[in-house]
Amino acid sequence: MRSPRTLEVWKLGTVNYLKSLKLQDKLVSERKANLIPDTLLSLQHPPTYTLGKRRTDHNLLIPEAELTKIGAELHYTQRGGDITFHGPRQAILYPIVSLRSIGIGARNYVEALERSMIEFASVYGVKARAGHKGETGVWVGDRKMGAIGVRISSGITCHGLAFNIDPDLNYFEHIVPCGIADKEVTSLRRETDTLLPSDEVIHQQLVSCFANVFSYDDVVWKEDSTVILDTQEDNE
Amino acid sequence: ISSLLGEDKTQSKKEKKMALRMWASSTANALKLSSHVSKSHLSPAFSISRCFSSVLEGLKYANSHEWVKHEGSVATIGITDHAQGHLGEVVFVELPEENGSVSKEKNFGAVESVKATSEILSPISGEVIEVNKKLTESPGLINSSPYEDGWMIKVKPSNPAELETLMGPKEYT
Repeated sequence: MRSPRTLEVWKLGTVNYLKSLKLQDKLVSERKANLIPDTLLSLQHPPTYTLGKRRTDHNLLIPEAELTKIGAELHYTQRGGDITFHGPRQAILYPIVSLRSIGIGARNYVEALERSMIEFASVYGVKARAGHKGETGVWVGDRKMGAIGVRISSGITCHGLAFNIDPDLNYFEHIVPCGIADKEVTSLRRETDTLLPSDEVIHQQLVSCFANVFSYDDVVWKEDSTVILDTQEDNE
Repeated sequence: ISSLLGEDKTQSKKEKKMALRMWASSTANALKLSSHVSKSHLSPAFSISRCFSSVLEGLKYANSHEWVKHEGSVATIGITDHAQGHLGEVVFVELPEENGSVSKEKNFGAVESVKATSEILSPISGEVIEVNKKLTESPGLINSSPYEDGWMIKVKPSNPAELETLMGPKEYT
């Protein structure tokens, strides 16, 4: 009999991007050392553009100097994927999990992230699908609703997925989202007539779909974000 | 590349294995079996067997799915057929600088596939004497020719004893 698998979920509210990177780095080390179980961060970011390892900044269509005017930050990261936007009303999940323990590789992991979002969308009657080759993510027709960008080091994942609940889609006008020029970005709000519950409920449902797809036996929810975030040294 | 399938050694030994021997790199791709299974739930004990991925004779292997070919004072390093299959199509490769150094079981580069960057670990320590520049333009060589044209770096081993700690083809399978 295998031992039960637990997922610890941290509900963090809105978190500054750099702060979330530092937290993930810390958790990845702890997960690698087996000090913590598989952990998932559930949060949103203030308006932030991010680039992946390939540094495809040609897909940022406005000068960097203009970003502060529109109230956004820009960050370069080590994740896979192209340029994207994160902001209020977009659900972010950062799973810090050991792929070794699950017994899967990068491709299967990413496909499972896609399935999590697809399963979640179906709760609201939205028929989403995984991306075609080279277009990893979650789509409704030719409109992108969920994005993925992952980093795997020593078998531990970080970064993760971003699902558009009802973010201000105008922010996407300033980039070629995910490097794909001719496709729209959409949101759950646009794709369903169903009245949406609060973001907190939506995050909870999305996390439950993730836990379901990844076959966790137990999900432990943690709140109290002030304690979690303040345990980091700010001048690290 | 430790992101891959790291089922433990004991688990993989229990799996029924079939080692396919390949001589030419071009046929490695032909026998690659996609291990993608469409199931809506991942079973946690689901261990993807190394069946049907090619494993070459004459190479040494690391548990993190890199291979080493030791010829004289040069060791060539790449990732295995099993590894590339579990990554998906490689779209970007990050390699170290020539004249840099690598350390056993430490990260020396990364590959990107399906929006995931996966670190690659060096099986041995040494000095990087050459990197495969073709991978910049053609990262897919890692998928189509993991043991030949998809080689990643050539290293002058600083501690040849490390080679003895690696697995042979039978153990890796």
